[in-house]
Amino acid sequence: MPEPAVAPSGSRAGSPAGRIVWRLRFALLFAVLAVLPYLLSYSQQEIAVLLVINVLLVSSYRLLTLTGEWSLGHVVIMGVGAYASALLAKRLGVPVPFSMLIGGCMAAATAAILSFPLFRMKGFYFLIGSFAAGEIIRLIWKRFTDPFGGPKGLKRIDAFPNIDTGFLSIDFYEPVNYYFLALIIVSISLFILYRIERSRIGLTFHAIHWQDRLAESIGVDTFRYRTLAFVIASFFAGIAGGLYAHYVGTVNPTRFGVDQMVYVLVWAIVGGTATFHGPILGVIVLTVINEIVLRGLGLDTARPLIYGAILILSVLYLPDGLESLGPKLRAWLQRRRRGPATAGGEAA
Amino acid sequence: MRKTLDRKLSRRKFLGTTAASGAALAATGTGLSRVSFAAGHTIKIGFLAPFTGPVAAWGKPGYDGCLIWADWVNAKGGVKIGDKSYRIEFVGYDNEYDAGKAKTGATKLIKEDGVKFIMMLGGDTWPGVEKIAEREGMLFSTLLPSDLSPDTKTLVAPCEVHPIYNVTGVEWLAENKKNLKTAAICAQDDALGKPSVATYLAAFEAAGIKMVDAPLFFDPATTDFAPVMTKLLAKKPDILCLDTCYADYVHPLCEQAFQQGYKGQIISCTADFYQVIVEKTSKDFMEGFVFQFPDFDDPALNAKEVNFVNPNEFYAEYSKRYGAKEWSAVSWEYASIMDLWADAAGKAGSADPGPVLKAMKAGGTGKHAFGDAKWWGKELFGIDNALVGNWPVVVIEGGKAKIKAFKSIPAWWAKHSKLMIKHMTALGQMWNQR
Repeated sequence: MPEPAVAPSGSRAGSPAGRIVWRLRFALLFAVLAVLPYLLSYSQQEIAVLLVINVLLVSSYRLLTLTGEWSLGHVVIMGVGAYASALLAKRLGVPVPFSMLIGGCMAAATAAILSFPLFRMKGFYFLIGSFAAGEIIRLIWKRFTDPFGGPKGLKRIDAFPNIDTGFLSIDFYEPVNYYFLALIIVSISLFILYRIERSRIGLTFHAIHWQDRLAESIGVDTFRYRTLAFVIASFFAGIAGGLYAHYVGTVNPTRFGVDQMVYVLVWAIVGGTATFHGPILGVIVLTVINEIVLRGLGLDTARPLIYGAILILSVLYLPDGLESLGPKLRAWLQRRRRGPATAGGEAA
Repeated sequence: MRKTLDRKLSRRKFLGTTAASGAALAATGTGLSRVSFAAGHTIKIGFLAPFTGPVAAWGKPGYDGCLIWADWVNAKGGVKIGDKSYRIEFVGYDNEYDAGKAKTGATKLIKEDGVKFIMMLGGDTWPGVEKIAEREGMLFSTLLPSDLSPDTKTLVAPCEVHPIYNVTGVEWLAENKKNLKTAAICAQDDALGKPSVATYLAAFEAAGIKMVDAPLFFDPATTDFAPVMTKLLAKKPDILCLDTCYADYVHPLCEQAFQQGYKGQIISCTADFYQVIVEKTSKDFMEGFVFQFPDFDDPALNAKEVNFVNPNEFYAEYSKRYGAKEWSAVSWEYASIMDLWADAAGKAGSADPGPVLKAMKAGGTGKHAFGDAKWWGKELFGIDNALVGNWPVVVIEGGKAKIKAFKSIPAWWAKHSKLMIKHMTALGQMWNQR
């Protein structure tokens, strides 16, 4: 299983010139993201909405992996947020924006409770334990038709309320509008996740991953920090669940099954987890290949096969994930630039 | 250095060729559809079902059947609507049995492909599409009428009224094998399994057959069926009922029953790819296996009451194109819905969803694949959008499926509707409980 590396120092971004370059890059990225939906077809806008939600899911998952633990229950935790938000809006009439926030809190609370049994385990034991915990939650959704809707789940979930101020009218049924809503929420969430990783807490997460005994010996409460990572990651997974539930309008236990979790793992593994952008790269590239390129080529039934082949090839030839392509490319270009001189030197 | 250069060039060549091929493929695809549209005599029909994943057996074979239907209809000049004849083109979208992907697929089919009608498997995927259907007024069909409710006005179940037809198998069994007195049932714990269990419980009760135990619901993620079968057989039932299990479950369940020495009666809603089960078990073991979906080479389907056009030829063509072992419960179903749609469009003089729906339901009756039927369902689904009539009872004899009888669902309903409502209510499957 790939292991998250220590966060890069980011020294280049630290200098004033570096900061300007980074700001320009972000401005460019946001400009592209703002224009993007207008370049897409209607159904591709729908895919873009789900993609943005999945970016938050996989990024929140990465935060958990920083402490060295890989969970198989993250999608179920997303489901906790989705179910909580849907039920609050549907049954209690809580306004959707608040229900989504409370859904995130419910997911975080569930993680806090689960952390007591789960963090008594490590490594593969934690992996299996998280799977079992997730299955228990899914079985509860199935068993209790009231309020969870049983195997069929919940449908006709309240949509995000439209905005109509007379001069401004936004209908969130339209994927382009929901895309921007999701983009704003996900961008804020990613910023928070990024800041956490770069903070003292984030560095402690890394320390626990690499040297948990050493961290404990200098007074770090590893249980608390692992729990903290799990709770924060779960909060954002819950928010992703809320975004999903109020967009699609239905949730059911199958949607949050282990099949979906495998996708999250594949996105993280193919993208790489050493950098913040690695899993994001993974989910974007694989979604575009799976949902747009392969469907466009009429290879619907061959998609699982091709998807599997991509996973195998990436593990074989890109063990550090897609995120390693950039540095490799830069190194290759540098070698090319230096090539003749080096060759000359060597000849001399 | 030279080696590096060679490698570089070959990579460039490779990338260039790949990109060119991709572009050519994409251009060919879009180009063809544009030509079709330009002709102005093509009607597109959407097919939104799982082509991959565990439920693919109830999506992909149906799409394959539709392609045969389209080829035959187009070869005869297309569907006549008003003064013109229209070529039919199917546009498929694999929804992977996921509501989110079904939503995207429905959007694409309606907004980009301009389809006039969308056929779905339904189930978990319908709630993702419901709002689009309502907003766009698009006509949808489902194979699972448990999707129906008073709010789903543009959704019809014109072929398979799952799971209500399962009563016919139990009724036939009770009439023909009077020594069978007890039964045990299992199903996957999902939206397909539960209403089907309620139906079987009602049918067994109506037939005077007692359940030896409460229904056994297993998780859809189950892969080891040995303990499931051990528990089912523990109380020695006369009948083993496999409910509406997916093909991925029916096969291992049968293998387990065989390995654990079960020799009694088996009844199931489906037995997709049953030849494989016969190969894995034995002809003797599968002898007398009762289910609900015939092979269409059955001579009984040539009866004059049957409305499906050329069933034997359809089966032969299907077997020729895809192989006889690829025939599944749904291979003919979507095609039979198309017969009904084409008939309604012809009567309406329009392919638009509203007029077609009106023509389809005119007079409260319709031509179902297995005979004339009536639009029904108010008591069970809250809306009369399910077409119900006769349904075949199929039995495996000598390793081959044979229709033993066509039995009337409305006749059973007239006698036992209260039982059905009782069991549906107990499992929370009535439309107002869902």
